[in-house]
Amino acid sequence: MVFPTDENVIVGLDRADDAGVYKISDDLALIQTVDFFTPIVDDPYWFGQIAAANALSDVYAMGGTPKTAMNLVAFPVKQMDLSVLRQIIQGGLDKLTEAEVVLIGGHSIEDKELKYGLSVTGIVHPSRVLTKKNLWPGDRLILTKPLGTGIVNTAIKAGMASVDLTDKVTHLMASLNRDAARIMSRFDVHACTDVTGFGLIGHIAEMVCGSNMSVRIFSEQVPVISEALEFASMGLIPAGAYKNREFRESMVGFSKTVERSLQDVLVDPQTSGGLLITVDRVQADALVKALQDAGISDTAEIGDVLKDPEEKIWVV
Amino acid sequence: MKEIDARGLACPAPVLQTKAFLQEENLGSVKVIVDNAASQQNVQRFLESQGFQTALEQNGTDYLVIGTCDAEQQTQIQLPQEREAEDKKIMVMCATDRIGFGDEELGLKLMISFIKTLKEMGPELWRLVFVNNGVKLTIDGSEALGDLKDFENDGLKILVCGTCLTHFGLLEAKKVGETTNMLDIVTAMQLADKVINI
Repeated sequence: MVFPTDENVIVGLDRADDAGVYKISDDLALIQTVDFFTPIVDDPYWFGQIAAANALSDVYAMGGTPKTAMNLVAFPVKQMDLSVLRQIIQGGLDKLTEAEVVLIGGHSIEDKELKYGLSVTGIVHPSRVLTKKNLWPGDRLILTKPLGTGIVNTAIKAGMASVDLTDKVTHLMASLNRDAARIMSRFDVHACTDVTGFGLIGHIAEMVCGSNMSVRIFSEQVPVISEALEFASMGLIPAGAYKNREFRESMVGFSKTVERSLQDVLVDPQTSGGLLITVDRVQADALVKALQDAGISDTAEIGDVLKDPEEKIWVV
Repeated sequence: MKEIDARGLACPAPVLQTKAFLQEENLGSVKVIVDNAASQQNVQRFLESQGFQTALEQNGTDYLVIGTCDAEQQTQIQLPQEREAEDKKIMVMCATDRIGFGDEELGLKLMISFIKTLKEMGPELWRLVFVNNGVKLTIDGSEALGDLKDFENDGLKILVCGTCLTHFGLLEAKKVGETTNMLDIVTAMQLADKVINI
């Protein structure tokens, strides 16, 4: 398929990045993104919050500031009470308010299956756009949220997760990547994306492809929801994790010392995951500290970039 | 053999169905049928976590997991746990099977005693790495083998250099630890708080 473009498109479909970026003037570009999905938690209010945090995240990952949003709703009017929809939209709205983003419209249709999401528009200076494709040798990789939400959500479906854990993971998915994005803008960040459906390995793979670099992940340093390891060893793993692993198998090397359940967490599809940031090595410690000091306490340096035309991901 | 048909079900349903089945009766063997590879692996891992030995088969679009276990084993099997991360991580690297030079017999005796006494480091001992002549301590007939196996059962990760084993033709004779490569060793050095070379 051929997608027409013009000279103001900074990031378009050919790049497959987190969002599209279009230059309006020499000092202003628009960031546009849309995301919606079926419920991932039982509570409609929290589902609304998570969907909004997830949609906003793409703008943060591009280095931008979200400004406006529109709702996308598919709702089974005949089977479900409208109060459910009201709670979902309230959840989304509260999250937008927290992010200082205004809801300016939306569209809803009747559907057999409930779906909710948002289209978000943000702004960025054209020279400050952060994409996935800018790895430099020696860069450090930093991750701001722990992994394992897909596995824990599977355990929740299986009725095997505690109330406390369910709560913890719900809050984690609903938490904004805004503060992390603000803090990283003060540092010499080279590339950024957010960790979602492809899992950590899948999103690193997108950074690595075409970069002439390889990435080394220090598996013991990767922040992980500890219960996810236990659930993984019991086979409570979403099918998406197996697909993610298979898809990137040829470019990933796991060292023998990396336990199978940790490998599963590294390919586990995440909902509203953290930012994955690459930063100049000299600033890595300071960035991690700044993020932790701001209360993003799970933040960790998880790997580094090696000059290597093989374009592999080594998990050690 | 009892059969569980979990075809047409998405994760985590096949695991749950298998779990419910095992809770009802104490089965020595079980056959689970699913219709996709992801469910097959999930069921396999669940059965293994419950102390079963498993075999996988594929029959057209059916994916089978066959689990067997001795009734006595079915009670939770204790797997060695990775040690908790303590404040300090010490890595000990042995590039020789003798301590010091001169009398060979004394050197070996000291080495055996050294390995035995390493236990006193407690949980701070985080990796034990064998390279060059050191790999000879991990093979059949080594006097240190008993102590090394105790360490391993205790959850300590023992890394044995694969290049060295191959060089000495001892790949098959190794009886303890994981065969490893230089990248693992260098990474361990980088992560350790202290590296002790022997």
